[in-house]
Amino acid sequence: MDSEIIDNLRDIAGAEFVSTREDVLLAYSSSASMGIDPVQPGAVVRPSNADEVAAILRIADEHGIPVTIRAGGTSLQGEVTPKADGLVVELMRLNKIELFKDLRTVRVGAGVTFGELDKFLSEHDLWLPVSPESALACTVAGNVAVNGSGPGSSFAGCIGELVMGLEIVLPNSQVIQTGSEANPNAPGPFLRYAFGPDITGIFIGSLGSLGVITSVSVKVFKRMEHFDYNTYGFDSHEQAEKFLVELKDNDVNMLMASLYEGPTLEFFMDMVGEEFGIPPMEWPHRTVSMTIGRVRKDVLESDAKLAREICEKMGGRVIGIVELPKGEWDGRFWTFVRCSYVHPWAWQVVYHHQAPTNVHRSVEEITKIMDKYAFLGHTAGFASGHSSMNMYPQFYWDPVDEEERKKVVGALKELAGNLYKAGAVPFKLASYWDGLMEGTETYMELLRRLKETIDPNGIMNKGVLGGI
Amino acid sequence: MPEVDMEELIENLHQCRRCGICRNAVYETVGFDGVCPVWRCSNGFETDFMRGKMLVALALLDGRLKRTSENLESIYRCSLCGNCTEICGAEFSPSETLETVRQVLSDFPIDIRDAIADRIAETGTPYVLGTGTKRDWVSELDFDIPVSGKTVYFAGCTSSQKLKNVARSTARLLHKSGVDFTVLEEEPCCGSVLLRMGKAAQALENAQAFADRIKDSGAETVVVSCAGCMRTLTRDFPIGLGLELPEVVHIVDYAASLISEEKISPKPLDMKIKVTYHDPCHLGRELGVFDSPRIILQSIPGVELVEMEPNRNQALCCGAGGGLRSFDSDLAKNIAADRIETAMVTGASVVVTACPFCEDNLHSGAQLANRLIEVADVVELLERSLT
Repeated sequence: MDSEIIDNLRDIAGAEFVSTREDVLLAYSSSASMGIDPVQPGAVVRPSNADEVAAILRIADEHGIPVTIRAGGTSLQGEVTPKADGLVVELMRLNKIELFKDLRTVRVGAGVTFGELDKFLSEHDLWLPVSPESALACTVAGNVAVNGSGPGSSFAGCIGELVMGLEIVLPNSQVIQTGSEANPNAPGPFLRYAFGPDITGIFIGSLGSLGVITSVSVKVFKRMEHFDYNTYGFDSHEQAEKFLVELKDNDVNMLMASLYEGPTLEFFMDMVGEEFGIPPMEWPHRTVSMTIGRVRKDVLESDAKLAREICEKMGGRVIGIVELPKGEWDGRFWTFVRCSYVHPWAWQVVYHHQAPTNVHRSVEEITKIMDKYAFLGHTAGFASGHSSMNMYPQFYWDPVDEEERKKVVGALKELAGNLYKAGAVPFKLASYWDGLMEGTETYMELLRRLKETIDPNGIMNKGVLGGI
Repeated sequence: MPEVDMEELIENLHQCRRCGICRNAVYETVGFDGVCPVWRCSNGFETDFMRGKMLVALALLDGRLKRTSENLESIYRCSLCGNCTEICGAEFSPSETLETVRQVLSDFPIDIRDAIADRIAETGTPYVLGTGTKRDWVSELDFDIPVSGKTVYFAGCTSSQKLKNVARSTARLLHKSGVDFTVLEEEPCCGSVLLRMGKAAQALENAQAFADRIKDSGAETVVVSCAGCMRTLTRDFPIGLGLELPEVVHIVDYAASLISEEKISPKPLDMKIKVTYHDPCHLGRELGVFDSPRIILQSIPGVELVEMEPNRNQALCCGAGGGLRSFDSDLAKNIAADRIETAMVTGASVVVTACPFCEDNLHSGAQLANRLIEVADVVELLERSLT
């Protein structure tokens, strides 16, 4: 990268927070996206506030330098893989937290992780109910940029559902604030849908391709203290899927409801069974592992009783093993990250959402691909909102076997196409969905025009958002 | 020290899934409040915590990254505190793997590391401290200590040359407890710093001489003050270097036994004090010695023990270890200053530890942070309570 540009970046962020060192650039050439080839950027800058971000983007836009925004570096779909000789803007220094207790909202800088925020909120008997499985390293802002979900989403939906407003630096260096905070006289974030159209929503899930989210305001809730953990077994996928629908219909407050097929659960038990203290057993065709949570104990007891009744009404049985949902919930900030190490393989995931009554179609397509290409993997899902399931099929390869990696990664696009035909939708519009989504041509065209309007020079993460 | 199995080393480095929880994880219910002290106290680039170091190590080993001083820097800017290993879910130890990488890179010249290695070979200590011997501190006591016997007090380089108060307090404690003990005429270096900085071949040579020296002394028990010596003698010697020693005990375990056996009875100090305990990484996280120093402190009437967060397994490092104090002294002191700030939050007037190397760096940290807090060894406090 041109030395004059580097000098300018140093003037903005401080010389100690700009690097063009070979080792540093190498370390920023990839993220947790094991299946994506690394690409070396030309420089890395670590700004400390939105004004610095704006000044950096002004330079990048002026010189047509490709920009990749990065925070925790936990992305799994290649969202933060840089462009060759491009600029990585790393946001971990934006670490302020401001609570608006009366508004039941909190504003966090783009460098604040879920773990840090949880500690802060617990001091006020509050919590943010949704967190990703990478919560100890992933930032709230980064998760908003991919519209992630995770434990708690069965109750509160994807993270986007909790967003009240964003501070965004546009590629042309303008800084905008969305939601009620756009009014400088407002006491804080109390309404997302202020000032007409939902501009906030445009940036949720935008994968850093439309602007830089420098702070996020989100809803927070009174911390729940009462939980019920249980497992429910079913002999058919129809029973299990209907069970999940009925739970929602009856307002049972599931915080995390995972749906496992038998073989997947066996595989999962190999990873965490011993750690969770789960006794060996033959799991049924389908198992729902569920944590119900409530602020009030009496309401929780009512929910738990109702869940058991619904299970039996659907023809299922209450298995009664509480260690699985308890382990999932209590360890929600790290269980899945840690269990990915239980086996010696690297992995790639094809996140998508399905309707609860259509989960079996995803399972069928994933199984077909694994059989066809003969690689190891599994899938499971959890309820992720009003009526959706977040599916996370994972495929494994030996990290030192490049051929095997290529085989797995090569199959992902085919799988994504098949999943789409099976009714699935991507929420992280990763580049491998490009060209697969028949019927969305006009939608994608609008998205493309939006991108061209906001980012006319195409500096922001080009090609990542569904190929745009 | 066995040859490095390169295939195993590469496989281990590939085990990192780049999840990043080794950076700044805060998990209140599990006890983590930050993980990597280097990332926390430096400019915070990816190479400042283990995820980036693993990537750099792989590239250095497979040739994608040229072996230059600058490119090797991140490999040595690590205190090997092991907190990343504590949180990592992988089936390998990132910190031990990084130490092995240092071993592979040991032929690449690094001035500070090589100077320390030369000094140990020539003088038996990593320190440049003028004339005198490691046993000089004994002459400052009002009793004699023989040079041979069944129980050897091995003060270690830092206690015998820099923080002599630790050695003196330990000797007084043993003396008051009625323990017949000895201090070697010419105490060798245990070689901890050689191992941590990757100089394995020299460490083996040094260790063999050390083992012979202990054997010749007729010692049946070796009592140590330094957490680094303790780890080296009880873990590296038998496991990595294949050398047997007599029983090696850290003074906090030894003293805790003296208390439980009622051989000593701590008396009230002059005034009540609030004390917080810093867990040395080698002693706590690596060897699991958490309770003895706390038992000692709680046995002293008038001492109120308050805990820093994080503590025990998840305690943050003082910054001195892994050769960091030599390789990047400013960074090591910044890390110590950060730990001192954590101690200040507890309201303690004294931060105690059980490692002279930690104590030395915490002194520097307190000075850097401009904080009026006493830094001491557990044994100093205990010995004070026996007068």
